[in-house]
Amino acid sequence: MSVSNVIEKLGRSPEDIRAENLRRWVTSINEVTTIKDVKARERTRVAGVIQNIRIDPRNGRDAIEATIIDGTDRMVAKWLGRASLSGIQLGMGLIMEGVPGAGPDGMLVMLNPEYVLVPGPEHG
Amino acid sequence: MSNAQAAFKRLVLGRPMSSGELEHTLLPKVIALPIFSSDALSSVAYATQEILLVLGLVGISALAHVLPIALAVGSLLSIVVISYRQTVRAYPSGGGAYIVAHENLGVFPGLLAASSLLIDYVLTVAVSVVAGVDAIVSASPGLERYSVEISVGFVAFVAIANLRGVRESGTLFAIPTYGFIFSMYLLIVTGFVKCLGGCPTAESAHLALKPEVSALGLFILLKAFAAGTTALTGVEAISNGVPAFRYPQSKNAATTLAILGTISISMFLGISWLSHVMKVRYLDTAKFLALTGHAERSVIAQIAYGVFHGGPIFYFIQIMTAAILILAANTAFADFPRLASILARDRFMPRQFMNRGDRLVFSNGIIILATLASLLVAVFKANLNHLIQLYLVGVFISFTLSQSGMVMHWKKTHERGWQRSAIINGFGAAMTAVVLTVVVITKFAGGAWIVVCAIPILITMMRSINKHYENVRTELAHPQRRPLDRRPGNHHVIIVVSNVDAATSRAVGYARAMRAADVTGIVLDPADSAPWHRLAPEIPLRVATGRSEIDNVLQVVQQKRADLTEDDFLTVMIPEILESQHLVEVFRHPRTYRLKSTLLRQRGVQVLDIPLLRKQIDPTIDQAHEPARNYAFVLVSGVHNATLQALEYAETLRPTDLRAVSFGLDPDATQRLGDNWLRDRIPHPLEIEDSPFRDIALSLLQYLRQFRPDGLDKVVTVVLPEFVVTKRRHQILHNQTALLVKRRLLFEPGIVTVSVPYHLSES
Repeated sequence: MSVSNVIEKLGRSPEDIRAENLRRWVTSINEVTTIKDVKARERTRVAGVIQNIRIDPRNGRDAIEATIIDGTDRMVAKWLGRASLSGIQLGMGLIMEGVPGAGPDGMLVMLNPEYVLVPGPEHG
Repeated sequence: MSNAQAAFKRLVLGRPMSSGELEHTLLPKVIALPIFSSDALSSVAYATQEILLVLGLVGISALAHVLPIALAVGSLLSIVVISYRQTVRAYPSGGGAYIVAHENLGVFPGLLAASSLLIDYVLTVAVSVVAGVDAIVSASPGLERYSVEISVGFVAFVAIANLRGVRESGTLFAIPTYGFIFSMYLLIVTGFVKCLGGCPTAESAHLALKPEVSALGLFILLKAFAAGTTALTGVEAISNGVPAFRYPQSKNAATTLAILGTISISMFLGISWLSHVMKVRYLDTAKFLALTGHAERSVIAQIAYGVFHGGPIFYFIQIMTAAILILAANTAFADFPRLASILARDRFMPRQFMNRGDRLVFSNGIIILATLASLLVAVFKANLNHLIQLYLVGVFISFTLSQSGMVMHWKKTHERGWQRSAIINGFGAAMTAVVLTVVVITKFAGGAWIVVCAIPILITMMRSINKHYENVRTELAHPQRRPLDRRPGNHHVIIVVSNVDAATSRAVGYARAMRAADVTGIVLDPADSAPWHRLAPEIPLRVATGRSEIDNVLQVVQQKRADLTEDDFLTVMIPEILESQHLVEVFRHPRTYRLKSTLLRQRGVQVLDIPLLRKQIDPTIDQAHEPARNYAFVLVSGVHNATLQALEYAETLRPTDLRAVSFGLDPDATQRLGDNWLRDRIPHPLEIEDSPFRDIALSLLQYLRQFRPDGLDKVVTVVLPEFVVTKRRHQILHNQTALLVKRRLLFEPGIVTVSVPYHLSES
């Protein structure tokens, strides 16, 4: 490892390095759009790593949300009426297809998307 | 942590790695061999010496027995290697003696193996480093006065290399290990060639040993054999480390083990043979000094000096010997933390040993190991002969248990060819059990008694920790103590005022916003009464003056608590002004700190901390201001009674938004949390956020900042469920995360933390 390489590595934040690894992982998956290029109300396929899971049992129906990141931006997958996480785990890769809409805080949300869970770039 | 601190940490330890980068640290065989075998190979550097030391006590003629003894030790080594190759195959996920004994023989044998191993690892570090320093001292006389300091320095060096992570250490350690193997073969082959024309003699060959001090009895032979079995130490390392190998893991590990055995046995026999033909004598270092007036060189140094007549190759061999010995300590640094984390997972050790640090290694285990080994080196004044007396008991207990466990394993699984496997392991177990007996008998008085006493103490400790964790688990799930659906009672508030200032006025605003059943103020100085009545005329005030302020506050709190029903909450608010953003600030108010910890031990009392940085005070505001929004977050790790109580508590704060948050370190645990949340129909949202760099306090801070609390209009309240235990010594097993979080949030504007203690009765 050269000195300049070391200095460069020290200068970059761990978050930047992680985002770069994520972007590299996403490009290895077929036919997905990077999240920053996704437009609302257009059918699309995205992939990312699950960063946040939200469970909201209020209002009589169990809502589960998973926020994925792909190194460019984040997007939310939302399922209604699910009784268990069944495989939705932090760090897992999630490839999903559907029509995203804008959520309350401006983030894109895909409601009941078609999805597959795959091992993330970071978990074997 | 300040930027400068963070930069320093990065320089020494490297950049923080995200949890996912774990996978990339798998090792190819060429790198795995030096990492896992430096311990086993390096014992060649002192095994022959230990045999000569025992035989030399009897007399010159006894030295002739070094070869048969070395052959016996070599055979034992091959038996153990063959035995362990089966363990590696049967336990691809890592089959240390603890796992094998625990799974196949039961809890007690498992703990016996675990405590032997833990002691063994500490001694591996101490013995290897001290032997390495001996090699340095042999090459440069005069340094022996600083042996202790040099040894401790090397322990620290290896510890830091390991805190950086295993892959970097692998590259770093490959060169010395291969260098040592090369230099030993160079020495043996050159020595053999020279012997064809008459062997060179060692410098100690003419040392006047008394011709025959005592008769050579069976006991002495056994003692010499036991001393020689130090050559076996470290063989088990590979069986612990199978998951670190590249795929196919078991096959690669078994191959590496076979290579290790071959190299180790041939080097050991070669050196023993040379020591015999070159007539090397070895005495206790103190005796040698008294006899000759100069320091004694190690056996390897004497042989190398004799074969190469000093010169650069002699120094090369000494450097390589020192290097491999110091790096042999590395094996223990890989295994001790791993075993500690497994024990923590099984609830036999404090949970903190499961946490991976910045660089994905089990930092706490590494630090503890380095500390213990340094202490041992200092107490034994870096004397190798004394340290080695302690070494073998733990090694052979774990060998025996591991092999016996394998016999049971084969009996249970009945795999194809299980009888053959069971016989191999059974024979190994029998042999190591015999050697264990010999080791205990021959070395007991010399120091082995320390280990024999330490093992039961460790076992008792681990059982007590386990019992405590199990009790807690039962109690936390106990349906009768489940606060869910219990209609929360009224909320009562006491504000402790050490000064009527901006922080106090925030506390008043907070108390008003939560619409508590009643609020009381306590001032510690009567002079504060007037400003208090201006600030909060509707809140009654108690003036508590007396000898001890803490006792006075406590008295008021206890009186109040006695009037309430069990379902009521009593929150003690502690507003405080912080002068600077420095951690020193925490220690500047020892009284506040003591007050908080005293209050937390009171049943049914919650402590709410309202800190405010001096520089963030807005001088234009002199009235209490009710925050319009209060976001409450309950930090949870599982669905249990303490969590539920904290949620109930948070409800009574009447926040605008209430949710539970959890930070995922272990994906399985977080999935369990989510499923249990749904199953138990907890009526609040739960958010599980990833913490890729495993720093919960930092992740929480970043999470909370998105709500932009300002402390006036918008407040964030972090509710921390905590445990209060009946025995003080158990306190260290709990609340470490809560403590870290509180310290980190203290300086964050607009964030209020509440500790909601859950009292464990442990009946």
